[in-house]
Amino acid sequence: MSAIQKLLARQPTVMRILSASGQLGYGIPEQALRAGLARRPDFIGCDMGSVDPGPAYLGSGIMATSPSVTRNDLALVLKAARSLDVPLVLGTAGTSGAAPHLEATLDMIRSIAREERLHFRMASIRADIPAARVSKALEANELTALGGSLAVTHADIESCTNIVGQMGCEPFRRAFTLDPDIIIAGRACDTAIFAAIPQALGFNMAAVMHMAKIVECTSICCDPGGRDAMLATLNADGFELESMNPERRATPLSVAAHSLYEQADPLTFSEPDGTLDVRFAKYTALDERRTRVSGATWTGAARCTIKVEGSAPVGQRAVLIAATVDPKVIGSIRTLLGDVEKITRGLVEGNFKIFPRLYGLDGVVAFGRSEPVPQPREVGIVVEVIADSTALAMAVAKTLKQFLLHQGFPGRLSTGGNIAFPFTPPELAAGTAYRFALYHVMPADDSTDLFPVSIENV
Amino acid sequence: MPFLVEIASIVRSKNAGPLTVSFDLMFPTEAAYLQAAQSAALTVSALALVFDRPAKEINVTLYAAALAIKITMPRAVVSGSPGDRDVYGAQQHLPLLAVQV
Repeated sequence: MSAIQKLLARQPTVMRILSASGQLGYGIPEQALRAGLARRPDFIGCDMGSVDPGPAYLGSGIMATSPSVTRNDLALVLKAARSLDVPLVLGTAGTSGAAPHLEATLDMIRSIAREERLHFRMASIRADIPAARVSKALEANELTALGGSLAVTHADIESCTNIVGQMGCEPFRRAFTLDPDIIIAGRACDTAIFAAIPQALGFNMAAVMHMAKIVECTSICCDPGGRDAMLATLNADGFELESMNPERRATPLSVAAHSLYEQADPLTFSEPDGTLDVRFAKYTALDERRTRVSGATWTGAARCTIKVEGSAPVGQRAVLIAATVDPKVIGSIRTLLGDVEKITRGLVEGNFKIFPRLYGLDGVVAFGRSEPVPQPREVGIVVEVIADSTALAMAVAKTLKQFLLHQGFPGRLSTGGNIAFPFTPPELAAGTAYRFALYHVMPADDSTDLFPVSIENV
Repeated sequence: MPFLVEIASIVRSKNAGPLTVSFDLMFPTEAAYLQAAQSAALTVSALALVFDRPAKEINVTLYAAALAIKITMPRAVVSGSPGDRDVYGAQQHLPLLAVQV
């Protein structure tokens, strides 16, 4: 009997859920994980990815985390789950959860199992969405950008190297029927990792979803926040939260405040199968470091929807890194860069774009109009070049560098050179550049063919 | 009038998805929260000036249970696209540091 089958057959009325990692692959604090295992959780969940690190990982198929640290983390949670014979549920495999990320994660798990002589049944769930499916939604005028505006054409959809959909609980439930010990999902809603099993056991969906929403980030909901394993104890109408690091306190305020984290709306959360509303949730201290939560509401969706994410290459990137301390150069830097770009365009032919960042002036802040007063002592210069080829991007960066170094201007003082280079070469080829071409929601009510599940004996 | 940063315990920014940037203002006491929540400086129209964005792009949500105020707006550049200046959006709170409530 598999770990999932045993748990579902046991039909517990109280469940202990251990969230081992909110970002598997960046190192799991071991002491808190061991403390969590001592509490005999009914299952272990881990989130492994996000769109936070930008479009490069989804686009390229590469993980954001280091292979050696990722392998260590996977070995920790795998051995933990097998030692207790409880299910391990992992979502958004390999940072972005597209086919190459999922495959790389499954390969690591197979290799760990061989090394550790572990044997188990592993279900995997793919999250890749065919471009044609997204195009169909676009045609039907059913593709909506999430939170801002992101215009999209059929060509944009076709240009994506990877498109994934965030699966909800339903594909996990299909995976459970294959009788697995561990379930590794491609791109998934963070909540589904923690909600699918309690939902299958018939727990109250409002409590399940609210619990899942909070524990997927492990101990970030605590004061002080951190990355240590978090335990949720779920019963009929609510749940209790406790960090597995004794220094982290889950207080009513810290837990309530977690609803704000990385959310546009802190009171309602849209999931594929419905909406969670925490407006009337109650947060009660059980003691100094445990809080009980209840009172959220859940409304099932009339129509199932999924978020789709797509990343497309936009060219090859080169980066120039330099800086200046000369007050006259700093005072003229924007004009200088404009002049030097014009010269570069006269000398280097081809299709390219130049994006300078002036650190000390406005290299970071995208909003507001304030300029630093007085003028900063140093200004860091990072110039991003995007071109059709690496050779062209590098030609632009090299030419721009040399003219920026020696360009004259009225009142120039430091005729040895306008800028300092921290190392040589100061221009670096940074590989293919990507952009999010899709971050949209689309209906998925005919979704039986999406998120296919498979099983293997490891 | 005190600066927002003098009465708030946390002033932070972060992406809420790659198309949206979100600002959280959190307060240590109900009095501080109410002072900010009732301030004319944190209305949509006042914030439009602070961020130099059209008022229709800005949302303000009061969240009393957490003694917090959330502000959201579309990002100027989609996270990680060429020309972006802050992929995670974690350093966009500077304009709020000059706000008095």
